[in-house]
Amino acid sequence: MSTTVIGAPAVPRAPASPINILNNGTAKLYTHLHPILVLSLYAYRWPSIVADPVPALTSALVPLSILQIAYVAICLPPTGGTASTVPQADKRKPGEKKKAAPSKVESGINGTIIPAFLSLLLSSLAAAPLLTATLVLFGAPMTTHHTHTVLCGAHIALLSFLPLVYVHGVDGTTWREVVALLLPIDEVYGGMIGSVFGAWCGAVPIPLDWDREWQKWPITIVTGAYVGYAVGKLLGGTLLKGKKIMFE
Amino acid sequence: MAARAILLTLANLLIPIAILVFATGFFPYKPFMPGLARYEDLGWEDRMGWNNGSVASAPFDRLVFMVVDALRSDFVYAEGSGMSFVQSLIREGTALPFTAHATSPTITMPRVKAITTGSIPSFLDVILNFAESDTSSTLATQDTWLAQLKAKENGKLVMYGDDTWLKLFPDFFERADGTSSFFVSDFTEVDNNVTRHVPGELLNTDWNALIMHYLGLDHIGHKAGPKSPNMLPKQKEMDDIVRDIYTAIENEDHLANTLFVLCGDHGMNEGGNHGGSAPGETSPALVFMSPKLSKVTQFSEKKSPVLPKEGSEFEFYRMVEQSDVAPTLAGLLGMPVPRNNLGVFIEEFLGFWDDSRDRVQLLLRNAKQMKRIVEATYPSLDFGTAVWDGEVQEKECISPIDNADTIQSDGQNLACKWQGLVQVMSTLATISPDLRFLKSAQETMSSTASNYNVSLLILGTTLATLSALLTLPTLPRLRPLTAPGISYSLILALYTVLMFASSYVEEEHNFWYWATSAWLFYLFLAASRKEWTNVLLHPAIIVLVLHRVIRRWNQTGQKFAGADDIVHSPLFYGTNSIILWTLVGATYMDITNRLSRHVARSIATFEGVSGVAVGGPDADFDANRFMATVAVMPLGATAFVFKLGFTTLDAPELVGGINAGILNWVAGLGLVGVARMVFGGIGLSAFWIAVAEWKRRGGRKRGVKGNGDLAVALFDLLSLFLVTQTKAQNIPLFLLFRIQFFLLSKSYPPPPIIIITLTNQTATLNLSPTSITTTTLLLSQTTFFALGTNNAISSISLSNSYNGISDYNIVAVGLLLFLSNWAGPMYWSTAGVLLLGGHGQTQRHIAVQELEDRDWVKEERAHLERLARQEKEVVERREDGAWGSHLALLTLWTAASLVAVMLACMVLRMHLFVWTVFSPKFLFAAAWGVCFHFLGEVAVGGLVWGAGRW
Repeated sequence: MSTTVIGAPAVPRAPASPINILNNGTAKLYTHLHPILVLSLYAYRWPSIVADPVPALTSALVPLSILQIAYVAICLPPTGGTASTVPQADKRKPGEKKKAAPSKVESGINGTIIPAFLSLLLSSLAAAPLLTATLVLFGAPMTTHHTHTVLCGAHIALLSFLPLVYVHGVDGTTWREVVALLLPIDEVYGGMIGSVFGAWCGAVPIPLDWDREWQKWPITIVTGAYVGYAVGKLLGGTLLKGKKIMFE
Repeated sequence: MAARAILLTLANLLIPIAILVFATGFFPYKPFMPGLARYEDLGWEDRMGWNNGSVASAPFDRLVFMVVDALRSDFVYAEGSGMSFVQSLIREGTALPFTAHATSPTITMPRVKAITTGSIPSFLDVILNFAESDTSSTLATQDTWLAQLKAKENGKLVMYGDDTWLKLFPDFFERADGTSSFFVSDFTEVDNNVTRHVPGELLNTDWNALIMHYLGLDHIGHKAGPKSPNMLPKQKEMDDIVRDIYTAIENEDHLANTLFVLCGDHGMNEGGNHGGSAPGETSPALVFMSPKLSKVTQFSEKKSPVLPKEGSEFEFYRMVEQSDVAPTLAGLLGMPVPRNNLGVFIEEFLGFWDDSRDRVQLLLRNAKQMKRIVEATYPSLDFGTAVWDGEVQEKECISPIDNADTIQSDGQNLACKWQGLVQVMSTLATISPDLRFLKSAQETMSSTASNYNVSLLILGTTLATLSALLTLPTLPRLRPLTAPGISYSLILALYTVLMFASSYVEEEHNFWYWATSAWLFYLFLAASRKEWTNVLLHPAIIVLVLHRVIRRWNQTGQKFAGADDIVHSPLFYGTNSIILWTLVGATYMDITNRLSRHVARSIATFEGVSGVAVGGPDADFDANRFMATVAVMPLGATAFVFKLGFTTLDAPELVGGINAGILNWVAGLGLVGVARMVFGGIGLSAFWIAVAEWKRRGGRKRGVKGNGDLAVALFDLLSLFLVTQTKAQNIPLFLLFRIQFFLLSKSYPPPPIIIITLTNQTATLNLSPTSITTTTLLLSQTTFFALGTNNAISSISLSNSYNGISDYNIVAVGLLLFLSNWAGPMYWSTAGVLLLGGHGQTQRHIAVQELEDRDWVKEERAHLERLARQEKEVVERREDGAWGSHLALLTLWTAASLVAVMLACMVLRMHLFVWTVFSPKFLFAAAWGVCFHFLGEVAVGGLVWGAGRW
């Protein structure tokens, strides 16, 4: 973005740093457990998805949302805040009364659960339609299978964009960096790139003449997204963490 | 530099040599046995009680052979077929139905060869089918049942219908009237032209074979598929003809011993096309009819209509081979089996002979004839009539089940089966050993229909590999690794792997659509990393959206053949065709408008104001421009009228919305003359503009470089030519290509927008040379498939290859055939050259030193400086080795993909699909390698690049 408001010197943005998962034992454990749970859920639903994609994919959205909300609430720092285990410095004006500290449960709800549900809302209302449009742009059927494609977009949105919204919020500049692949890689960003790339690779088996039921739209795409998500999240959280994507 | 040129030349020269060497090994000339077969001594006469030379008496002496092109089995046998009379005959038992398996390639000429000779035609026949004038492919010297019938006493043949027969059997027929299938929109004339002869011929007594070949049903399939509303009426029409003929056979004395055969030469797929090996294409119907047949059908089940066999879609009744027709006709009409026959007498007809010795004799003749071919193929094995002694047999014929270690060769296996026949013949007469030998001989000989010359295959592949290796040192520098370089290599690597997967050869378009989408998205990402702009106005995104539209234009490939696409949507049909013609008109208008700009420049040049006209657009809106438009308009209008006239004849359903008066007027024009006018006009314009540019170049000051306008002019003329060679429904695609090209070039966004929005809203794609090469390659491949072609021979469109040609001229027809099918790739390979050289792109001539230095314009200054730098880079590209690198990448691409295809054909030469998938792919790869690479990329590309330096 090269617009500059005249007179107001542009504030140089701090270089984005990779997201670290919360520094507690539950988070560290669950972040590894989570992709296994997501993949098991998908594997468990697989036969019914192959048999009839629309109802199966629709009903699979609910457990997927629960798992993703649990994941972001347990493992990830919500947008704006750093890891909330560090207590914030008390900034009281002189003479101001000390506010009653919010109860742990209350702060938990305010700090994690509500943002998590907001992310769910945003990713299903904004990301899913955008992803559906992208799917069509990349060759998804235009005149038929509308529900299939929307569901496919919704699954990718929940998998990849929900955690991203949770950690980055709705800051336009950050999202431009997200799209332009400029952020440093971490497990959330890696999961997003992995699932989108996986969905793209998922198109490969469709033309083969194996005459399998699962070759029909959009099963391979969704499967690619799930597998890609798990792989991307793993790599992004470990090997590639902090690296930046270079094009030249 | 010189070394690079030499290496590249060598690499390019190796490509056609490699193709030629490989093709010689892959499509060997198949020797056939000349001469007519005669009845010969059978042996075992004494044992069987046959008199020397006696022949089992034949039940028929006349033949009516009715071929209905593309008569798929279900058109006759299934519920809802229009052929109720044939079905009633089946129920009566006077008709014997089969599904005749047609081997690939399922196109008419090889199929007629198979039916008449009983052999499996070599793949070369496919090419010869296109080179129609070629006489080496005739069957005049081969043994066929036609030749046998003609050789009989009073043998006279008559033929009406598809002139393929007349080409295959020159001077065979007593009376003949050929129809050619030039315009597939003709559903009625082609058939009426046959039918009008039938009543007269049924009264004639002089012929012993009447052959008819109806084309209308095939035309309906090509036009609108098997579910077309015209299909059922056409089936009824065919059924009525069958009824007429059958009734005549029942009632006329001289026709009493007539065998009536109704068959299709091939079927069709769900898209109505044929040529490949889909079940629909390989399952034509085959019905034998005669009142006498009730003798052989008395014990069989007579049911009709029926359902296809379980698990199949088109297998009705028993499946026989199409080549079985030849020996069966020979037996039923009492003549020797044609020499090169690999068919087996259809056993249902054995019931005509009451004496079992006659049955054995019939099959034995068939077996002996086929044994000769087997002997010729396996000269070292023993096919004598002596009974082997026990020791030899034990050595040679150990059953593979008993001894798994000895795997018998196919030939040995056949020798053993023959020996089994010999042993049985010398003891008792039963039929089964004859059949056992015949069937396995048929199977084996069909699969070894071609004996590859493996050393030539290896040599050809090695030469192609060498060519690819030679280009390596000429490539642009590999380090530092760039994303476009990696993408190029990845795409090439993936493509070479996919050539080994038969489904991906059939569905190759999916790979290109998939890769191109990703590549265009990458272009968007790469640009967005530098500068974030409005996503929806981003050039790469708009190109991607257009790409999405283009890939939906024509459904292609095998798996989803016949699926919905834009061309077949109601958008363009009937009265809606006005939409199509508006788009077509817009395409022509755009090209004409661009041509008028070039001509205006040339007028200005000849008026002597050449110094002024450095850029292009300054010639706009003045008197010159007006004159130029007047001068160019006739060319554009003629081209448009030609297209309209051609479509009126070729695809009348596409001109429904056009005023009938105009159509009548257009149809009255001689299309050949109009096409010649268009081609002549294009040539003349090219000459005129070239002369003007040459003059302008002379008038230019030293050191001042031109803008490469001649290159653009040549490109626009080429577009007009390619559009002329394209089917009307595909012409709007060229408008979309044009927009894509504009967006990819640096002319986007147009200058006024830049000034207004200060570059914040729209970005220019500043593609690096390697990016341009990759984009060009991807779009060339994409458009090839988007125009409706794929890797099946049947997808080649012949309709535009006779434009402006009145008599057959193989070079001209071949060239037009290539250009009409490769129009998209030709367009993009030339457009890629223009992108590379930045020819004719708006040059802003930013004087960097005059830019203001005040603070608030700093950013704008930086932007303009960057633009100026980019412009300079592009212009400098024209001088240095950009063309060399471009060509090197293209050559590597061509050579490497050839290596992949050759390797796939060589490694998988025993694969089930080698003749249906891999051999056609090799032919296409050869066309890409020789015609497209040399004509499109090297010759036209080089010409445009050279012209751009003027």
